[in-house]
Formats: sequence, structure tokens, C-alpha cells
Amino acid sequence: MTTSLDPAIETVIPKPSRLSGVTASVFSSIRSFRSSSGTLPIGLILLAFLVLVSIVSLIWTPYPPAATGTGAFSSAPSAAHWFGTDSVGSDIFSRTISAGRTDVFYTVAAVAISLTIGSTWGALAGFFGGWFEAVTLRLLEVVQAFPALLMALLIITVLGPGTLNVIVVIAIIPLPDFVRLARAEVLTKKTWQFAEAARMVGNRPLVVLFKHLMPNSWRPLLAYASISAAWVCGNIAALGFIGVGIQPDAVEWGSMIARGESDVVAGAWWEALFPGLGVLVLAIGCQLVGDGIAARNRGEQR
Amino acid sequence: MAVEISAPPPRSLRSRRGIVVPKFVSLIGRRVLAALLVIWGVVTLTFLLTRVFGGDPVNLFAQPTSTAADRAAIRQRLGLADPIPVQYVHYLRDVIHGNLGTSYMTFRPVTADLMNRVPATAELAVCALLFGVTVGVAVGVLSAVFEGSIFDRASRLLTSAGLALPQFWVALMLIVIFFDRLHVLPGPTGRLPIGAFPPPKVTGFYLIDSIITGHLSTFWPALRQLILPVLVLGYGVSSPIARGARASMILALKADYVRTARALGLSRARTWFVYAFRNAMLPVITMFAGTVAWTFSGTVLIEGVFGWPGVGQYALSSLENSDFPALQGFVLYASILYVIVYQLLDIAYTFADPRIRS
Repeated sequence: MTTSLDPAIETVIPKPSRLSGVTASVFSSIRSFRSSSGTLPIGLILLAFLVLVSIVSLIWTPYPPAATGTGAFSSAPSAAHWFGTDSVGSDIFSRTISAGRTDVFYTVAAVAISLTIGSTWGALAGFFGGWFEAVTLRLLEVVQAFPALLMALLIITVLGPGTLNVIVVIAIIPLPDFVRLARAEVLTKKTWQFAEAARMVGNRPLVVLFKHLMPNSWRPLLAYASISAAWVCGNIAALGFIGVGIQPDAVEWGSMIARGESDVVAGAWWEALFPGLGVLVLAIGCQLVGDGIAARNRGEQR
Repeated sequence: MAVEISAPPPRSLRSRRGIVVPKFVSLIGRRVLAALLVIWGVVTLTFLLTRVFGGDPVNLFAQPTSTAADRAAIRQRLGLADPIPVQYVHYLRDVIHGNLGTSYMTFRPVTADLMNRVPATAELAVCALLFGVTVGVAVGVLSAVFEGSIFDRASRLLTSAGLALPQFWVALMLIVIFFDRLHVLPGPTGRLPIGAFPPPKVTGFYLIDSIITGHLSTFWPALRQLILPVLVLGYGVSSPIARGARASMILALKADYVRTARALGLSRARTWFVYAFRNAMLPVITMFAGTVAWTFSGTVLIEGVFGWPGVGQYALSSLENSDFPALQGFVLYASILYVIVYQLLDIAYTFADPRIRS
């Protein structure tokens, strides 16, 4: 890499911002609403809306979300019950907005764990290569041979139910992708000038990796984290729907749909529609944000 | 990137006796070897998960009144008394012989249980894949050709939703609309309406069997039962394919050879659908493997919702009953199938791409 048009040079020049990393990007993307591809602001608005609703549900819900018999059984949406009631007379509106906390928390926690472990692992593999990289790649091939949801089901059956277990199991699914992505990023960038320069002035390898290479590689990882959050939350709802890991009567969107399933087939559409819309808003929000970040990354590379 | 550069593989390998092994044979040989390695890894991982980290299955069989001797007898019968490495060797031997153990719930061999249920899932999955891939490629190519049009925007919205929507929820909503409100499609009663008899078994695919055995009266009901689950699974398949096909096609349309072809006076349609299309589809082939895995995961939930008597439903019920051999067998079956499909596609890709072939 001797060309003076090395694209990495642009990233080395520090931008006049006191905010670091993720925060800076979020702020700069809010500032450049019009210039970005349009999906990012919509996604951020959707996610902000969900967070707001979740916070409101902490302070106020029309009925206690766990209470049964707040109205007639399986009654259609009305003034008293905006989203109707389910088969045990719980208020679906209260449950739907409270469930947002569970699903958003599970999603964020699982993606955060996966992103942290996966990108560190992948970066180490890409940076040091050798047998560590070879073993990693073979292992990924094996893990990715399992259809994702099936592997989650198998592990959760073995581990047993529980919040932490669900998060860990869900975090394993996108992990191989983060490892691959981080490895590829580090592999291409470790020969760029800024990395060479960092090495040349006498930094230790690990310092070069974590202080110089990783900060320059997090943008594609963040875009992917956001996109993967979309199907992470779908899989969390799926586990709740099957009734594995998450307690059957938990205030969680997937479990709510499971409780309403038999009524839905008999016509009580509201029991599944509203919790499903919750999953949808969360998933589409994450996806739009991810697409937006990816589009911005591509735009800046041009 | 000196790391990635390695010597180009020889065109053909010359064995010690001087027989020339054609390149594609050595290629397929290497692929088979790689597939076997991955399958071995999968088998080992499921073994570790269920036998080493899993709970004690003896608890499923022992009564609260069981004595230590009773429990030891159960342990012996289940083959769990041996040390783990011995169990592992036995397990490997059984898997190689196609013996996936006995279900704790049905007391039948898991392999037999699975084989009984494979046709139902296969019919559903094949229809969904055919539908999803066709629609996905068509939509992706058209939205690339008409980039920026209303069709393009609408299809991008729909495919984004398709990636994000939980399939079981879409299934329930479609049941509400088409069965409950409009009364145009049957309810979730499995492969046939309640009271209908399946056609005599030849292939296990009801659509094919009803035609070749002359039971045409079952063809239409069986097809109607298939529409909703195929629509849901196919939508899930078509979304990533459409996105991939669109991105790949847009790149192809901007390529120099397309401009050259146009400049030489070839028609727009010919450059699009012959020149650009063929090149754009190469990366999409590799996406098929992913969608196959997606479909396997999808069938578990979709079969549950539609009462479809396939392997997915078997997995669900074994999950509810902590039936480890059944669950393990199902995961193995799905993973091995996936590995085989993946390797076949990889070989197909090699033959489809002349740059790799020669």
C-alpha cells in the first residue's frame, strides 16, 4: 500500500468533535437528516417512539399489565380497552406497552453481547492470523451449519429457562457474522498507512489493534449490529411464542401472541395484531437505522 | 494483502500412477471432505450440548420413589452409565449407521419418526423455496431495471418488512384475513381439511400423489391447504433474495460490458435480461443456501401455527417434552441437510461461473 490516495487517510484526520465514537455518529446523523438516505431518521424516530412508550409504561398503564379479569374475556377493542382484552381478561394495551421494555431490553442486551465478543474475537483472529484464525474459521463453519433458530432452541432446552439464558442464546446467533465482519475489517485495514504508522512509532500490537484499528472499523460493525437487531428481536418473540426460555405468561410480545393464538384463529385478531405490531416497529426501526448507517458508510467511501 | 494470496490450484492433479484426475473430480472430492468435516463438527457439538451440558435424562424416567438401584438400571438402559468418551464413540457409531436413538416420548426410533414426517415438510419447503426464489429474483431484477420507480420503492418496502416481520405473526394475520374474514381459504388444519383422506402414498407429496394415483378430488383441497403456509415461508425466502438480486443487478447494469453491448446496438431488453442478468445471478446463487436454512427454521414455527404434521412440529413437541434424542435427531437432520445443500450449491456455483471453472 504505497498509493497516496489511501482512503484510510481521511479517517485518520480527526474531526473537530469532542464526542467520541457512537455518540458522535448519532449526533452527526441527526444533524444531517436531509443529506442521509432517509431511512436513518425514520428508523431513529421509530426506536425513539418505542423507548418513549416503554418509559411511559413504567409510570402509567390503564390497567396493571399482569392483572387478569380487568374486563370481559376476549373482548374486541373498545373505549375501556383500547386494544381489547385476551382470553383471561387482561388488558392488551397495558400489556403491549409494558412488553416493549422486555423485548427492547432483551434485544439490546443480546446484540451488545454479540457485538462485543464477536468483534473482539474476529479482530484478534484477523490481526494475529495463524492457527487461531484457522480454528476460528472452521468453528464458524460448524456453528453456521445449524439453522439459527434450531440451535437456539437446542441450547435453551439444555440450559433451561431464564432471562440471562435467553439473552446468551440469542446472542450466539449473530456472533459468527460479527466475527467474520471484524476479521475482514481488520484484515484489510491492518496494512493501511495509519496502522503502519501506529506500528512504526513503537506501539505494541494490541495497542495498534484496539486503539487504532478497531476505532476505524466500528462503523460497518455498528450498521450490521443494527440490522441483526431486527431479526434478533424477531427470534426473541419466536422463543416467547413457542414458550421456551421465556415464561409462558411473561409480559412479552411473543408470549402474548402465543396466549392469543387459539382465539385468533377463532376471530379475535386483536390478541395477536397489537403485540405483533410491537415486534414489527422494533424490527423495522432497527433495520432502517442499520440500512441508513450502511448507506452513509458507502457514501463516505465514494 | 499477502495473507490471502496462495498458489493457484493446478488444473488437474496427477496421481502417483500417472492417471490424470479431472479438475472437477478433485474439486468435488475436496467439497465432500469439507462437508464431512463440518458434519462431524455438528455431530460433536450436539453431543456436547445434550450429553455433557444437558440435564440428567434419568430424571425424566425415574419415579420419586425410585431407589438408587432403579436409577442405575435406567442409566444403564439409556447407555448413560459409560464414561463420556465411550458414550461419544457409541454415539458416533450410531449416527453413522443412521441410528439417532429412541424417542423418550413415542418409544420409536427417531429416524423412523423423522422419515414419516419428512414428506410433509419437504412438500411445504420445496413449494415455498420455488415460490420464494422465483418471486424474489423477478422482483429484485425488475426493481433494479426500474431503479427509483414506484415499483422499486414499493418492493423495497415490502422486502424490508419481509426481513423484519416475525413469520408466525404474518401467518396468524393471514389466517385472520383469508380464513376468518374472507372465508376464501381453509383454516389451519394441516395438509388436508378435517375429514379428508390422503391419497395413496407414492412420493409422500400430496399434490403429486393425488395426480399420479388418479385421486384428483384431493388435489384441490391439498393445494388450498398449502397456499397460506407457502405464502408465509415464500415471503421470508423472497425478501433477502430480492434485495440481493436488486443490488447485484444494479451493479451489473452499470458495468462496462452492458454499455458496450448497448453501444453496439443490442436492444435494451437483450442487454438487461441476457447480458446483465446472467452475470448478476451468480452472487444470488450463493444466497440460496442461506434461504434454505431460513426455511428450515421457519418450518418449525409455521408448522406449529398451521398444524402441519411435519418434522418442525415434531421438533416442537419434543421440545415441550424435553425429548432430547428426538430434538437432537431433528437438529442433526436439519444441519446435515443444510451442509449438503450448501456444498451442492457451491459446486453448482463453480460450474456456473466460467472464471472459476477454467
